[in-house]
Amino acid sequence: MTPLEYLAAVLVIGGTFFGLVATVGLLRLPGLYARLHAASKSDTLGSVLAVAGGAVVLGVGTESLKLGFLLVFLLLTSPTAAHAIARSGQEQGVEPAGNVDAPWIDEEEGDA
Amino acid sequence: MSGPDDRETAGIDATTDRAVGADSGPDTVTTPTPDTDPDPDMVTDTGPDSAGRVSRPAAERQPYVESTIIMTTVRVIAPFVLTLGAFVMFHGASSAGGGFQGGVIAATTVIMLGFAFGINPVADRLRNEYLGVLLILGVGTFLAIGFGGYLAGDTFLEVSAYETVIDHGSKYSIELVEVGIGVVVAGVITGLFFLLGTGIDSVAIGTEDDTE
Repeated sequence: MTPLEYLAAVLVIGGTFFGLVATVGLLRLPGLYARLHAASKSDTLGSVLAVAGGAVVLGVGTESLKLGFLLVFLLLTSPTAAHAIARSGQEQGVEPAGNVDAPWIDEEEGDA
Repeated sequence: MSGPDDRETAGIDATTDRAVGADSGPDTVTTPTPDTDPDPDMVTDTGPDSAGRVSRPAAERQPYVESTIIMTTVRVIAPFVLTLGAFVMFHGASSAGGGFQGGVIAATTVIMLGFAFGINPVADRLRNEYLGVLLILGVGTFLAIGFGGYLAGDTFLEVSAYETVIDHGSKYSIELVEVGIGVVVAGVITGLFFLLGTGIDSVAIGTEDDTE
């Protein structure tokens, strides 16, 4: 294997790892915001790393240029989508799981 | 992970607190504790509001337009998405893609604009008349290519007959058919989105209580 292939393998394996982390977080964490945290961060990193690995494999050319565009747009849109979901959740008054103080929840549930 | 247990005990404490408070005197009736503790299974879902409604009518809904992040991203992304839609549409004849996929991608632009700047302003700008003109143009393109096959000396949609008219005539006519399909699909998706985003309120709320 050439060093470029090693680099591509490392990138793809890293992307798969972060995708796995995102899946586990989405399934295991409680509440909207914690799940969104796991899904947005790790999933963005995972998909971006995997796409970068594909671009390294393809070398300099039209295909890797397209993958580069895809990478940039993934980096732009995926956190924005997570931001939109979290924002609408906050506007709808979704409470985070656990005993935390959310500043947008007016009613105190109880002093216990 | 002691989160659910904590929440459950907190809920029990709140209910016992409320029961004791109701026993203590009539002054606690003036400040009733709002029922913000749902059952522990549904604790993270957004429940119905104080009036018991799950969704609010459009007049009480907060306008979803203030987020600078979303608006900026949509401003940056939208031309590229529209370009991608046209790209996929024009590549339907020679490679992966086609009018249906490209039309959906092009309609995504309008849906993104609706999410970022509010559905009602976007729907006011792109009214149903414009969408109707778009649909008629798409269907007209398809039919013109189809019946043009007769003019070129063959049968309906026989695009190989165009080779005698122009160079690569079949290729161009297939592309035009794809563009017609894409325009129709984009118009239909956009119209459905506007109908779902704006039309339901005017129907359901109008029969329930006349706000005008």
